[in-house]
Amino acid sequence: MAAIIETRGLTKRYGAARGIDDVTFDVSEGEVFGFLGPNGAGKTTTIRVLMALLRADAGTAQIAGLDCWQQSVEIKRLVGYLPGELALDSNLTGGQILEYFGHLRGGVDQTYLKRLIDRLGLDPTRKFRQYSSGNKRKIGIVQAFMHRPRLLILDEPTNGLDPLNQQEFDRMVREVRDDGRTVLLSSHILTEVEQTCDRVAIIREGRLVRVGGVAELKDIKRHDVTITFAGTAPSDAFKALDGVDQVEALPDGRTLRLVVSGGLDGVIKAAAQHPIVTLTSQEPSLEDIFLRYYEGDGQTAGSQAAKEASKEASHVVH
Amino acid sequence: MWFTSVFLKTLRDYRIAIFGWGLGLGLLMFTVLSAVSSLVATPEARASLVSLAGSFAWIAEPVKVDTAGGYATWKYGFTILVMALWPILAGSRMLRGEEEGGSLNVLLSLPRSRSRVALQKLAAMWAALLGMALLIGLLTYGAGRGVSANFGLDGALLFGLNLALISGVFGSLALFVSQFTQERRTASGITGGLLALFIVVDMIHRVIPGTDWLSRLSPVYYYNLSKPLIPSYGTDPVALLVMAVLSVLLSGAAIWLFARRDVGAPVALPRWLSLPRRAPRPEAALPVNAWSLRSIYTRSLARMAVPTFWWTVVIAGFAAWMVFIVEQTEKQLRSLYESSPILKDLINKVGGGDITTNASLLSFLFVFLPVLLMAFAVTQASRWAADEEDGLHELVLATPQPRLKVLLMRFGALTTATVIIGVVTLALTALAAAVSGLALDGGNLVAATLSMIPLGLLIAAVGYLLSGWLRTAVDTGLLSFLLVAWFVITFIGPELNFPGAVMRLSPFYYYGTPLVNGLPLGDMLLVLAVAVVALALASLRFVRKDIGR
Repeated sequence: MAAIIETRGLTKRYGAARGIDDVTFDVSEGEVFGFLGPNGAGKTTTIRVLMALLRADAGTAQIAGLDCWQQSVEIKRLVGYLPGELALDSNLTGGQILEYFGHLRGGVDQTYLKRLIDRLGLDPTRKFRQYSSGNKRKIGIVQAFMHRPRLLILDEPTNGLDPLNQQEFDRMVREVRDDGRTVLLSSHILTEVEQTCDRVAIIREGRLVRVGGVAELKDIKRHDVTITFAGTAPSDAFKALDGVDQVEALPDGRTLRLVVSGGLDGVIKAAAQHPIVTLTSQEPSLEDIFLRYYEGDGQTAGSQAAKEASKEASHVVH
Repeated sequence: MWFTSVFLKTLRDYRIAIFGWGLGLGLLMFTVLSAVSSLVATPEARASLVSLAGSFAWIAEPVKVDTAGGYATWKYGFTILVMALWPILAGSRMLRGEEEGGSLNVLLSLPRSRSRVALQKLAAMWAALLGMALLIGLLTYGAGRGVSANFGLDGALLFGLNLALISGVFGSLALFVSQFTQERRTASGITGGLLALFIVVDMIHRVIPGTDWLSRLSPVYYYNLSKPLIPSYGTDPVALLVMAVLSVLLSGAAIWLFARRDVGAPVALPRWLSLPRRAPRPEAALPVNAWSLRSIYTRSLARMAVPTFWWTVVIAGFAAWMVFIVEQTEKQLRSLYESSPILKDLINKVGGGDITTNASLLSFLFVFLPVLLMAFAVTQASRWAADEEDGLHELVLATPQPRLKVLLMRFGALTTATVIIGVVTLALTALAAAVSGLALDGGNLVAATLSMIPLGLLIAAVGYLLSGWLRTAVDTGLLSFLLVAWFVITFIGPELNFPGAVMRLSPFYYYGTPLVNGLPLGDMLLVLAVAVVALALASLRFVRKDIGR
């Protein structure tokens, strides 16, 4: 599939402050691409460069083969955009806002627009300032979708939406993909990205640290294996094995915690030489992968807690 | 220190206002008091001034206007009440503004009662008002000493206190009104309207005999009962007390209501007092089919509609009123100006002719029209900058609208608004001239009213240009400074014998004296050309810059 978004060495600085540095990635037409990173990592800066709201200091960005800065007007005919922080005229009603942006886009299909409003349960008769943050977000989502754009660029789209509307939003995104259109969405909500996206880019301190399919990222062969033996844990039997990065003996003297890269074949064969009570292998979730990239960022405690909470046992052997 | 309590934090927020308003109004008093000696230089001039003041009793009761304190009290009669604008804005923002912005939610999550938070904020407003009053009082006293006025420090400070009390009444009223409105703007608009109404209600008894009872309903009446700058008239402690009690009652009621209502919602009115509500019909909400939603130009025009209306009322009303009264007060004004060499010279230079004609006197007054129009343009240029800062450009620029078009459509709407103001001013002044029987040259009147438009566009274009680099507050501050500087160059420059090159720095120089000498076409084209260049540079900057908050 051809790339609809192509960035090469995209760099943007805010004086001495960090923006983004040498960001290169492609988004193929027809996929849902997730842009992951914590606050301040550079997600919004990248998106705003794509939308020609910011001018890159270096590098190139193209959408559908058009230069994002030079041909921004042509690009915006193809794009639906939802900013991270939505600011709209607070004295207009939701309906008036949608009609105004419809006019600025040269008109939209009113039937489709009403269907979107209906799906999100939005009351367009209220003034923007009277909406809750979730309903304000809905206005933003509807205006991004209403002209059936070829590409949707959504900056943290589900911020403030309740779970039901998040599900509806996920369905809307899937429909867009099924229609052959493309979605680039940024988020720091990992489960959302995991459920919605085909591919993911992880950005850290303004630099892309990983781009790949969600399944591909989850397939990184790094497992946490915990083995409880019937007798004293034989630490030495595992230390020399290929792929075993770390061996930790727990205080009970019978349990080992191993970090293993690659296949588990050697570990299981070595363990089978001893009487075992339990063996637990944990496959990394996207969240584990994400947090691994951020280890050492002063988030270790939080990361560890999140890690513990998110772990799911994939195999339990008695 | 400033962040240790709600009171101190709020007072810190008011620090610029305290010095701005205090020094500004203090300097105004300083200026008017300094001019007194030239106005009463001869017995004839003194008599003319007394006679003229009698004709303008609607401004303020003329008491001993041939003394420094009496003249200042009369001259700034109700115009000094411009000080009440600040507490009106502060009072409506105090709780409602913070509710709108969401910051009150955080503040009220602290272990402090609502009443205590509101009381501390109210106390900060009063402390700020008293600070302003002190500055005004000290500057008034200083100016009085300079002209050997017969009021002392106590009189000057009481003058400031009287002003602070009446301003506090309107601040408390704004706070009270804001309990019933969803937005602070509505509260400040309503209270501003009430201020104007109360000024008029107070005026009535000075124009129509036997209507004292009506004027007593206005708080402004009690302000005018004290004239501390006139020692023989003095201060009315009961009137001061009435204003203080009124403030306490209004702010007490406001805080009582605030402690009992939902945060973020107005006080629930009884059903019989509420406007009937239509049930929302989401299915009928679209399409709206409003003309104002069809383009950036129409949307911008709609957003400017209300301020344009009020500025039109002020500018066209001022122009028409001047035309109307210049005929009636011609003799007194001429006598006064002829006996004051400074004023005579000023009118000759700024008014563009000798003071024997109505047109010259009127021409002198008409120079204020472009000043007012430019002030309107400053507010609109400021709004353009604020829109970017607030993120309102972001989604508009995400639609297939070129940046250049976005800027030009917005500026086009502003141009339309200034043209409307100019044309309405022309129509009203022509009508006033016809009604009052004042003979004015039609062509010159057209020139005088319409040639202010390029000046408005000039300062707006400069504002758009500066907003390419500066934040809203700095942009607005710089534009306001430019406006004041240009005004000073034009009005004080002739007396200080500024060189021609300096005088030409002010756009008012190019406005000239069209009511007397017709349209200075070349000068106007020059102003327009500078405005076009500024707009072109602003556009160039806007299409290349990062759009940010």
